[in-house]
Amino acid sequence: MSLLAADARAFVAAARKELRMWRRYPLFILGLLFWPIVLPATWVLMGQAYSGGGDARALAAFAERAGTTEFAGFVFVGYAMYMWLSNLLWGPGTALRQEQIRGSLEAVFLTPTSRLVALFAPPISHLPFSLLNFVTMGLTLWLVFGIVLPLGPVLEAMVVIAIGIPSMYAIGSLFAASVLRFGETGPIVQLVRGTFVLACGITFPLVMLPGWAQAGAALLPPTYIVADIRTVLFRGVGLGGIAIDLVLLLAFAGLITLLAVWVFRILETSARRRGTLGSY
Amino acid sequence: MGELLAELRAGLAIARKHVVTMTRYRVAMISMIFIPLYQGVIPAFLFGAAFAVGGRSLGLASSIGTDNLAGFIFLGGVVSGMIATAFWGMAMSLRNEQDAGTLEPSWLTPSTHETFVIGRAIGGSVLFLLTQIALFAIGMLFFGLRFDIGILRAIPAVLLALLSMVGVAYVLAALVLLLKEANFFIDATNYLFSIASGTAFPVTLLPGVFQPVALALPTTYAMDLLRHDAIGTRTLFDPVVEYVVLIALTAIAYPLGRWVFARADHVMRVRGTVAQY
Amino acid sequence: MTATAAEPAVDARGLVKVFERGRRTFWQRLRGEPDRRERFHAVDGIDLRVERGEIFGLLGPNGAGKTTTMKMLATLLIPTSGTISVLGIDVLARPRDVRARLGAMLSGERSLYWKLTARENLEYFAALYHVPPRQTRARIDDALTSVKLLDRADDYVERYSTGMRQRLALARALLPDPPLVILDEPTVGLDPQAARDLRARVRELRSQGRTVLLTTHYMEEADQLCDRVAIIDHGRIVALDTPGALKRTIRAEEVVRLEIGLADDGAAVLERLGRSATVARSERHNGTLAVTAHCASARDFVPAAFDAARSAGATIQHVEVVPVTLEDVFISLTGRALRE
Ligand SMILES: Nc1ncnc2c1ncn2[C@@H]1O[C@H](COP(=O)(O)OP(=O)(O)OP(=O)(O)O)[C@@H](O)[C@H]1O
Ligand SMILES: [Mg+2]
Repeated sequence: MSLLAADARAFVAAARKELRMWRRYPLFILGLLFWPIVLPATWVLMGQAYSGGGDARALAAFAERAGTTEFAGFVFVGYAMYMWLSNLLWGPGTALRQEQIRGSLEAVFLTPTSRLVALFAPPISHLPFSLLNFVTMGLTLWLVFGIVLPLGPVLEAMVVIAIGIPSMYAIGSLFAASVLRFGETGPIVQLVRGTFVLACGITFPLVMLPGWAQAGAALLPPTYIVADIRTVLFRGVGLGGIAIDLVLLLAFAGLITLLAVWVFRILETSARRRGTLGSY
Repeated sequence: MGELLAELRAGLAIARKHVVTMTRYRVAMISMIFIPLYQGVIPAFLFGAAFAVGGRSLGLASSIGTDNLAGFIFLGGVVSGMIATAFWGMAMSLRNEQDAGTLEPSWLTPSTHETFVIGRAIGGSVLFLLTQIALFAIGMLFFGLRFDIGILRAIPAVLLALLSMVGVAYVLAALVLLLKEANFFIDATNYLFSIASGTAFPVTLLPGVFQPVALALPTTYAMDLLRHDAIGTRTLFDPVVEYVVLIALTAIAYPLGRWVFARADHVMRVRGTVAQY
Repeated sequence: MTATAAEPAVDARGLVKVFERGRRTFWQRLRGEPDRRERFHAVDGIDLRVERGEIFGLLGPNGAGKTTTMKMLATLLIPTSGTISVLGIDVLARPRDVRARLGAMLSGERSLYWKLTARENLEYFAALYHVPPRQTRARIDDALTSVKLLDRADDYVERYSTGMRQRLALARALLPDPPLVILDEPTVGLDPQAARDLRARVRELRSQGRTVLLTTHYMEEADQLCDRVAIIDHGRIVALDTPGALKRTIRAEEVVRLEIGLADDGAAVLERLGRSATVARSERHNGTLAVTAHCASARDFVPAAFDAARSAGATIQHVEVVPVTLEDVFISLTGRALRE
C-alpha cells in the first residue's frame, strides 16, 4: 500500500515536471492560441468556397454525408480532436525521447518507482492544454462564426470527451512507448497524426473514404469521439443514442492501455539486454 | 568576370549541398511529399468532394468559375509549395546552420553572404520542382487531376513569383538570423502567407482586413494566373493588370530583400551572433 | 596583389570591442527611453603586430577577449573602434579580400557538416573559397594529406573522433592556400596524443612559410609552440615577447609552491617568507595557506621557509619546486592564476 502511495506521489511529481518544462517555451503558449483558431477558420472558409457560399444543393449534399449542414461546427469539432491529438503526441513523446537522449531516463529507472510511472505520467500534462484549446475554439466558433452551442448538448459533448479521455490517454502512452524504440519523434508524430487526420473524419465526413479505410477507422477511438460529439452537438441526439459507442470507447481504453504496457515491457527488456536504454 | 564565375560556382555548390543533405535526412525527404499530401491535398479534396452534387462540384463552380476540384487544390499546392520553399528552404535553413555552427565557417569564406540565399533558392527550386512532379503524378493517378494545355502560359507568372519569393526569403533570412525563437515565427507566417495568397480558397473570401495584405503579395497574382490558365477560373483583375502588378512587386521585393539582408548581416557582425551559443 | 611580403601579417591598432548586454525592447526605443544596456568591453585597446612566418600566440584566461580579437581579424565581428590590416589589407574596407587569403579555424568540430563525408565537406568549402575547379582535387588531397586524413576521406564526419574533426577543420582552413592561418583554441578537448599531433601540424605550417596566429589557455602550448606570445587579460595585452624573455621578466630562477597549515590568518608567516623570496600569490582555504613564491635559489629558500613557519606557529605540509612557466608570468602580472 505504501509502495502504491509512493508511486502515486512519484506520478504527480513526474506530471508536474512535465508541465514545468512547457512553461519554459513561451512561444508554445502562443501557438496554443494561434493554431486552434487559424487552422479551423481556414477550413471553414474552404467550406464556403466548396459550397459556393452556401448553395442549398451543395449543403444538402454535405448534410447527406456528414449529417449536418453546419460545416463550420463540423470542422471545429474535427480540429478540436486534431489539437488534442497534437498535444497528446508531441508533448509526452518528445519528453520521453529527450529523457532518453539526456540519459535521465536511465536515472529514473534506477529509482524504485514503478517504471510505468515514467510511461504514464507525461501524457497527463497535455490535458490542461487541450482544455484550453477546446475553450478557445468554442469561443471562436461563437464570436467569429456566430454559432451558439446550446448548453445541454455542450454538457453532453463534455461527457463524451470525459469518456474518451482514457482511450486517448492510452494512445498517448502507446505512442510514447514506441518513440523509445524508433528514436525520432518529429516524423513519427507527423505520420501518426496524418493517419488520424485521414482516418478519423477530422476534416471531412467518414463516408468519403473507401470501404477498407472506413473499416480501419472503426478501430480508432478518435473516430468515435469526433463522430459522437458531432452527433450530440448538431443532430440533437442524446447520450442514449450513442451509448454503444461510449461503452466501446471504454473497452478501447482498457485494450490500448494493456497494449502500451506490453509494448513498453518488451522494449524495456530488450533495451536492458542490449544496454540501449540511455543511448539513441 | 572570373570573380562572378567563382561566385556562381559557389552558389551551385550551396545548391548541391542543400539537395544532398536533404536526401540524406530520410525524414525530410518523406515530409516533402507526404506532409502536403497527408495534411493538405487529400483531406481538402475529400472535404470538397463532400459538397459535390451528382459528382459535380457545383458550389466550387459558382465560387471560382470551374468545378475542377482536383485542379483547384493541386494548383494551390504548387503555390504553397513555392512559399514553403522560400520560408523553410531558403530562410530557415540558414538559421538551422547558425544553430548547428556551420554558418560561421561559411561566413569566413570570400563568397558573398547573399550567395548563401541564392544557392538555397536554386537548390530549393530543384526540390520544389521534383516534389511538384511527384504530387502531380499522384494527383493524375488517384484524384483525376486534369489541366488545360494553357497551364504552360502560366510559367512566366510562376517564375516571376519564384523570383519575388527569393526577395521575400532575403527578408525572412534576415529576421530568422536575428530572432531568438524562429521556428514558430516561420511556421505561423508561412501558413498565413500561403492562405493570404489564395492557395486554399479564393482571397475574396478573406475577412476584409486581410484583403489588402492578400493584394500586396506577389504569390496572390501568380496563384490567380496559374489557376486561370490551367483550369479556367475567373481572375480577380484583368490578367494583363495582374502581370503588371506581379512584375512591379517582384521589382520591389528583390532589391528590398537584398537591402534588409545586408543590414541584418551588419547587425550580426556588430553583435557577434554569426555563431549562436 | 597589394600585399607585399614586407608588410606584417597582422597589424591591429587601438582595437576595441564593446558588447551590449541585455536587450532594448521595441517599446523602450519607441518611447525614446535612455539606453540602460550594460556596455561590456570584451576587447579594450589592443595593439598587435604579427610578423610574417612566425607562430604567434594569444594566451589568456576564459573571457579574456581572445576569440573576440580573432573574430575581428576574420571579419566576423566589426570592431567598435580601431584599425586592423591583415596582410596589408584593411579588414573593414575590403573584408572579402581578407577572407580570400585567410585560413581560419574558429570553432572546430561543430563547424562541419556531419552528414557529409570529409571530402564532400572540403569540396563544398573549396567552391566557397573560390578555388579554381582544376585545382580543387589537388588542393583537397594536399590539405587531407597534411592533416593525415587522406585514408578516411570518404567517411561521414559523424563517424569521426573529436580529434579527427578538429584536424578536418584545420584542413578546411588550408583550402585557400592561405599565407595567414588563425586558430582559436585548436587543441581544446583533445587528448594529449591528439593535441601533440595537432601542434606538429601547426609547426609544419610555419615551415611551409605561413604565419600562424593562435589562441590558447594552455601555457605549455604557448611555451612550446609559439615564437612570440601576447598575454591578454580583461581585453588588454599585459605582456608581449618570446616565451623565454617573458619568463625572464620574473626575477627568479625557481618557483616554490608551499602548503602551510596554520591557525591564524597567515599574515605573520607571509611577512617572514617575504624576507627571503617574492610571494607572487597566496590563497587561504580552511586551515591551509597555499603560497607561490619566486626565489633565486630553492636550496636557500626552502630551509628559510621552514624556519619562518615554525617561528609563526605554523607547519609546512607540502613543498614543490618547479621551473618558471608562463603561468607564473601571468600570476606575477595579474595576481591570479590562469585557470580558476
Ligand atoms: N556576442 C557577444 N555578445 C556579448 N558578449 C560577448 C559576445 N561574445 C563574447 N562576449 C563576452 O566577451 C568576453 C570575451 O569573450 P571571448 O570569447 O573573446 O573570450 P576568450 O578569451 O575567447 O575566452 P575563452 O577562453 O573562454 O574562449 C566574455 O566575457 C564574453 O562573455
Ligand atoms: Mg575563446
